[in-house]
Amino acid sequence: MLTSAFYFIAFVTIFFAIMVVVSKNPIHSVLYLVLTFFCISANYIFMLDATFVGMVNVIVYAGAIMVLFLYVLMMMNLNAIAEQKRSVLFKISAAVTGGMLLLVLVAALKDANLQIQGSALEAEQRIGSIKVLGYVLYSKYQLPFEVASILFLVAMIGAVVLGKKDNSTKTIGIEPVK
Amino acid sequence: MNEALLLMKPELIVTVIIFILLILHVARENSSPAYLLNLINGLLFINFLCGFFFNREGTLFGDMYVTNGLIVLEKNILNLGMLLISLQATDWLKKKDFIVEFYVLLLTTLLGMFFMLSSNNLLMFYLGLELSSIPLAALANFELEKRKSSEAAMKFIMSSAFSSGLLLFGISMLYGTTGTLNFAQLAMLIDGNPLQLFSFILLLAGFGFKISAVPFHLWTADVYEGSPVAVTSYLSVISKGAILFVMASVLFTVFKPLVETWYNMLYLLAVLTMIIGNLFAIRQQNLKRFLAFSSIAQVGFILIGMSGSSQEATASVIYFVLIYVFSNLGAFGVIALVSAQTGKEEIDDYKGFYLSNPMLALVMTLSLFSLAGIPPTAGFFGKFFLLMAGAGKGNFVLITIAALNMVISLYYYLRIVKVMFMEKNETPMEKLQISLFPRISLLTCMAGIILIGFTTLLYDYIFSLSTSF
Amino acid sequence: MFSLENITNTTHTWLNQTFSPTLALLTEFLIVGVLVIGLFAVLGLVLVFMERKVSAVMQIRLGPNRVGPMGIFQTLADTLKLVMKEGLTPNGADKFLFNLAPFVVMITAMLILAPIAFAKGFQMWDINIGVLYVSAISSISVIGILMAGWASNNKYSLLGAMRSGAQIVSYELSAGLAVLSIVILSGSLSISDIIASQQNGWWIFKGHIPAIIAFVIFIIAVTAETNRAPFDLAEAESELTAGFHTEYSGMKFALFFLAEYVNIFIVCAIGATLFFGGWMPFHIGSWTAFNNIMDYIPSSIWFFGKTFFLIFLIMWFRWTFPRLRIDQLLNLEWKYLLPISMFNLLLMTFVAIMGWYF
Repeated sequence: MLTSAFYFIAFVTIFFAIMVVVSKNPIHSVLYLVLTFFCISANYIFMLDATFVGMVNVIVYAGAIMVLFLYVLMMMNLNAIAEQKRSVLFKISAAVTGGMLLLVLVAALKDANLQIQGSALEAEQRIGSIKVLGYVLYSKYQLPFEVASILFLVAMIGAVVLGKKDNSTKTIGIEPVK
Repeated sequence: MNEALLLMKPELIVTVIIFILLILHVARENSSPAYLLNLINGLLFINFLCGFFFNREGTLFGDMYVTNGLIVLEKNILNLGMLLISLQATDWLKKKDFIVEFYVLLLTTLLGMFFMLSSNNLLMFYLGLELSSIPLAALANFELEKRKSSEAAMKFIMSSAFSSGLLLFGISMLYGTTGTLNFAQLAMLIDGNPLQLFSFILLLAGFGFKISAVPFHLWTADVYEGSPVAVTSYLSVISKGAILFVMASVLFTVFKPLVETWYNMLYLLAVLTMIIGNLFAIRQQNLKRFLAFSSIAQVGFILIGMSGSSQEATASVIYFVLIYVFSNLGAFGVIALVSAQTGKEEIDDYKGFYLSNPMLALVMTLSLFSLAGIPPTAGFFGKFFLLMAGAGKGNFVLITIAALNMVISLYYYLRIVKVMFMEKNETPMEKLQISLFPRISLLTCMAGIILIGFTTLLYDYIFSLSTSF
Repeated sequence: MFSLENITNTTHTWLNQTFSPTLALLTEFLIVGVLVIGLFAVLGLVLVFMERKVSAVMQIRLGPNRVGPMGIFQTLADTLKLVMKEGLTPNGADKFLFNLAPFVVMITAMLILAPIAFAKGFQMWDINIGVLYVSAISSISVIGILMAGWASNNKYSLLGAMRSGAQIVSYELSAGLAVLSIVILSGSLSISDIIASQQNGWWIFKGHIPAIIAFVIFIIAVTAETNRAPFDLAEAESELTAGFHTEYSGMKFALFFLAEYVNIFIVCAIGATLFFGGWMPFHIGSWTAFNNIMDYIPSSIWFFGKTFFLIFLIMWFRWTFPRLRIDQLLNLEWKYLLPISMFNLLLMTFVAIMGWYF
């Protein structure tokens, strides 16, 4: 039951992911991406029993990041015509490269030591529960958690700086440069 | 409690400086640029000095944070570079509005590098890496009115996001096969099965992007050219140096079991990087682009040293980075002065530079000699130790290729010297003002380039700190 | 005594005795689906009528009074009119997205109903992270609105959608922080646990000052999130014709209209659950006699009473405050509400740690 559900969700996820790449219209791509994120969340919730992670995935990716994506795309008013045409050679070489990567990855996965992989999943089985997650986040992973928050703060400062206009260079622009 | 504070001293001091700047910015919005720059450079100097006292060894937060003598030394080298760059940038920053923001972003990247150096866990390593690269994208765009600057920032953030993606993919697969992110445990569990090899290749590609080794170097020249000079020198010296330190420690600890595999990869990367970096450096017209390719070629030499995988290898990489800080910052210091006062960055603009600015031309020449590895400058000794470490493996084809490349690099470094000393210019540059801070910085670089070569104490000290492979 | 819990329980046992468990489960799904759609239809009719009557009282006029006694069938007549109208799709619109958008908005509204407890033991899905689920799903509705605005191929629609997006994304933060402060007090994200923790008094009384601040912030934020006046910039009639649904007509317009009112109901239900104890009757500490008297009033009446009180509050806002400008709107959120709610969260944590609540 669980295995077939996994195959179903995985198939749908991959289908939407392919649609993201294939669709001509960027807005459609983003909307398919939202669906992809939903499917990934479904995977978290039903397969790993990690409801919290699944919900946070929906809030952060589908709810916040994708909305900003949509925002930017709608403001720029991109459409199918604006996309530049690529040569056949380019497409073929991209397909060959991607195919080779897939081949290597599948081959590597085939021979991977699955026992270790199983034990890794076993050890972190209860990570999905919010109590366990909160405890681990504030004990074992305290430092990474704090560093991540610094990262966000700095990213925000950087974005604000880029958004501001530098007044001093403007006046230099008017004066003849020495 | 006290012990924990002392262990994390470098990070805490940088954090405190960031907070001082932020609070100062809110409290006194109209501080004059000169006041701010004096204050900040003073703070950075204190930060540099503090690096030498009360150093402890130990771990914190479980396995997340580790520090020892070698890591402290690496952090001191980064602090020194940070101070030198800050001193050199004063002329340019005086005209800017966002001095505080500039330093906040710059110091956070430094903080990220510290965390990255002290990481004993791939998660912490990744976070440190991101913290040290995302603010740099904003810094690359600091010339807000210039299109080139925006282009540089865009290219930088794209390539760094892509390489972080590769790194994360590799890390997640490594986690999948071993079930741990801790360096020591990983080293025990890695047995070279295909998935681990695959993840290692992804990690190496991620590193390759960050240190701009060929074939992952395509972003380098454009980003170096478009960014402000201070940011370019930061990218080429501090950022690259920090990642080289971490790369050495990750390769030598986590991937120790795979040493046979990655020796060949480093061999290939080193040869490609040296040859392509050198060949492209020959035909550059912009001085910043020129230094970009020269720094790519230098990375090739460092990779040779790293491929030695021995105690000498660690020591020679750190020693070379220290010398590289002095020599590259000497060259960038001159470019920063010229660029801030005249806006000229082309090689042709430097024709007859010696006649108008003899001192600066001398500084530039000495730095270029050191980069080329001409004795008795420090650069010679740096390269010498790198090649010695590389020769430890007994692969003399590699050493021969490296020697040939050193000859090629002589050609283009000396070309700049020839332009400055021998060629005539109808519109020569006027005499440039060298204010106190850049003067201190350039003098320090010169002292470093000349003195380090004459004493073996420093190399012995680094060697004693390095762990055996 | 009349109780919704008994009805559900008897239905459940009867279904399981008569049919196989799978079939029984499917039948229950079907019943719940029909009930939700029925609830939506009734809510739409009642709330629109209520809004018109409330606005009439505020403006000292009569309001709808022709169709049926006191005009109670007015909304039914309006619905009929809308159903019979032609559903136009403008030229140059992205047909698929244009037609999909109203359903996206509607379905997200339906999904949010899942964890809400309408009465004692009358809850569709007691998910253990109920509050988080609500905020996750409510953040999706903005995608439907953006879709509608963009697919209409009309600049007014696009502008309205953009404004609405900015508004919802920003006010979600302070709404989320206000919700979090109650989560801190009750120590659980599950709706049923939160209600159970109000056994001896509602949080708005028990958590005193920080809870009241959180409630005020919550009401302001959800008013903005549902795009209601004074935050109705998304459809500001005097500037943008009708905002993101300018091009919609007939039944598709009706869906948007319905979704707006259903969303108001939902946010008020959440507010009632978090701050006023949901279906929990008005209890005071250990006054057993008083509490028992209060228990005689059915829990569903408590729940709907509180919810409709909050709905009335939000309607009151609409007819008394003038509309904000977009910059005032964003300033209000980012410079005032967000810092206040962050500080309030800190205060609430402090209060919870020190045990300064009842």
